[in-house]
Amino acid sequence: MSARPDGQQSLSAAFGRPLVLAVFVLTLLFLVAPIVVTFVASFARDWTGVLPSGFVSVRHWERVLGFAAYQDAADYSLRLGEMLATLPRDPFAAFGKTPLFRSVFLALGGVAINLVVGVPIAYAVARYDFRGREWLNAIAVLPLAPGIILGIAFLRAYPELSGTDFGLIVGYSLLKAPFMVLAVQSSFEAMELRQLEESARSLGASWLRTFLVVVVPNAKRGIVSGAIICWALAAAEFNFSYVVYSRGARPLALFLKANISNSSFETTAAAVSVFFVLIAGVTLALQLLGNRGFATR
Amino acid sequence: MDAEDAPTSTPNLSDSAPRSARLPDSVRALVAPRTERDRERRRILALCAPFLVLAAVAGIYPLAEMARISVSEARFVSTGFSVDAYVDLATNQYLRRAAWNTLWFGLATTAVSLLAATATAHALQKYTLPAEDLLVTLLSFPVSLPGIVAAFMIIVLLGNTGLLTNAVAWFAGESAIDLAVATGVAGLFIAYCYSMIPRALLLLRGSYAEVNERAEEAARSLGASPARTFYHVTLPQIKPGLIGAFILTFRTALAIFGTVLVLQAMRVWTYEIDYVLSNGFQIQLAAAMAVVWFVFVLAFTVLGLKYTSAEVGL
Repeated sequence: MSARPDGQQSLSAAFGRPLVLAVFVLTLLFLVAPIVVTFVASFARDWTGVLPSGFVSVRHWERVLGFAAYQDAADYSLRLGEMLATLPRDPFAAFGKTPLFRSVFLALGGVAINLVVGVPIAYAVARYDFRGREWLNAIAVLPLAPGIILGIAFLRAYPELSGTDFGLIVGYSLLKAPFMVLAVQSSFEAMELRQLEESARSLGASWLRTFLVVVVPNAKRGIVSGAIICWALAAAEFNFSYVVYSRGARPLALFLKANISNSSFETTAAAVSVFFVLIAGVTLALQLLGNRGFATR
Repeated sequence: MDAEDAPTSTPNLSDSAPRSARLPDSVRALVAPRTERDRERRRILALCAPFLVLAAVAGIYPLAEMARISVSEARFVSTGFSVDAYVDLATNQYLRRAAWNTLWFGLATTAVSLLAATATAHALQKYTLPAEDLLVTLLSFPVSLPGIVAAFMIIVLLGNTGLLTNAVAWFAGESAIDLAVATGVAGLFIAYCYSMIPRALLLLRGSYAEVNERAEEAARSLGASPARTFYHVTLPQIKPGLIGAFILTFRTALAIFGTVLVLQAMRVWTYEIDYVLSNGFQIQLAAAMAVVWFVFVLAFTVLGLKYTSAEVGL
């Protein structure tokens, strides 16, 4: 098939596929190899030569999880040990002590807002035709401002509020809203929205009831995967957290930054690996829902 | 809010009609809709309202306050009008340099990322690869990694104790410290690509999925070489996706901050914003820089969407 009428093979028929495949393999290795190396190195005692050595050691994991002390005075761990110690005495205060649960909680707050905000607008754009629909869609699916700009705007507009849980939650929700809208939209686009709505209405359901009881449950998959993606991205948001964070347990991304800047290479590898484990769990959850990775469509 | 929507609740109308009669027509139609078209309008508004409220409270108002302080005469309260911060911006040669760095670096990394992502999307879509689902999952994994982690990934590969650095040093018999490029401009370039390739790939896979394969097969069987087929048949079809990916990837490049904070190889705009903020809290200057960034990206996006066939999403 690749032969030309004159019987000669074209250059691209001979080299095109190997070239594209080479780029593909290089890209794959480039993206995946450091993740694997980091994960493996987090179980090494140290890494001074060409390869890490002293397997299998959980010392660095104990350190970042907060079950063993750091070498220097500062504590950049997840403080899970401290949390477990406080748990019997004061369960409410315990979870606030660790970056892990603070981030889990903050990101969940962001997702809650995203659900209220993202599902209706995705429906409006998918179901109705109105003036300015295209532009509204563009506003909803494009991030308005990046984390660092929004952070400065927050510092200025809400000086007291911006570093609190509430400020972080609101900021996360605006930053990650596009992902929710896109994920839900892809579910809506696969549905016969008009028919669905008209059937429910003709059977006597009010419009609001139709939306809540018929339309939303049918888009469950998109909504759940949107929620998972938003949650993971909010938990990983660094730029915004870095600008507005002022007190309390560090959000997860700042825990990573503290380790990357201050800890030894192997300890940082363990800290970053904690994050990988979290994202792997999220990816698995998305996989079970039928998504392939973080794609929203 | 939607009680009046239900067909059964019309009795309400009798006492709300006289009051609402005094309102302008457009408002009355929203408060007490009579036609189905008015009701639909009200529904659309109700559906968009939560998002618009969030965008106003968390986006527009803070950004407006930021723009206000950038032209303020005082540092902690917005009073008076002064363009000192902008004059500072225009005359400061370090900032001019940062702006130039940001632009060429963003364009160059976007170009490289799009090339790598196009080839990867092409291979995923057109070739039969083993364990394709797993490959897609692996390739999309880095999308969720923040910039600081991308920077650490480059340290793992190319830092002083990095894998590639040490491997090359071992073969070449040179010092690993001399070979490490992670904290240089080259390392930063690669770190940018680490963040941007998976994002571009996500968008391009969507475009590739919609390519008409019959047209490609026809071109090939009529004797066109793979390169010609790609250029004349495939490329025109993925062009909207490619332009959309260019806009979004370039925006990503301009917004990168954590990566630069960790690797510290070059001063880009976002880094300078943080720098003037953490050195003496020069909020007016920082706000002015953020305004410039915002206006530039907004203009770039709006023009891009208006004058090209770009498809966006994400």
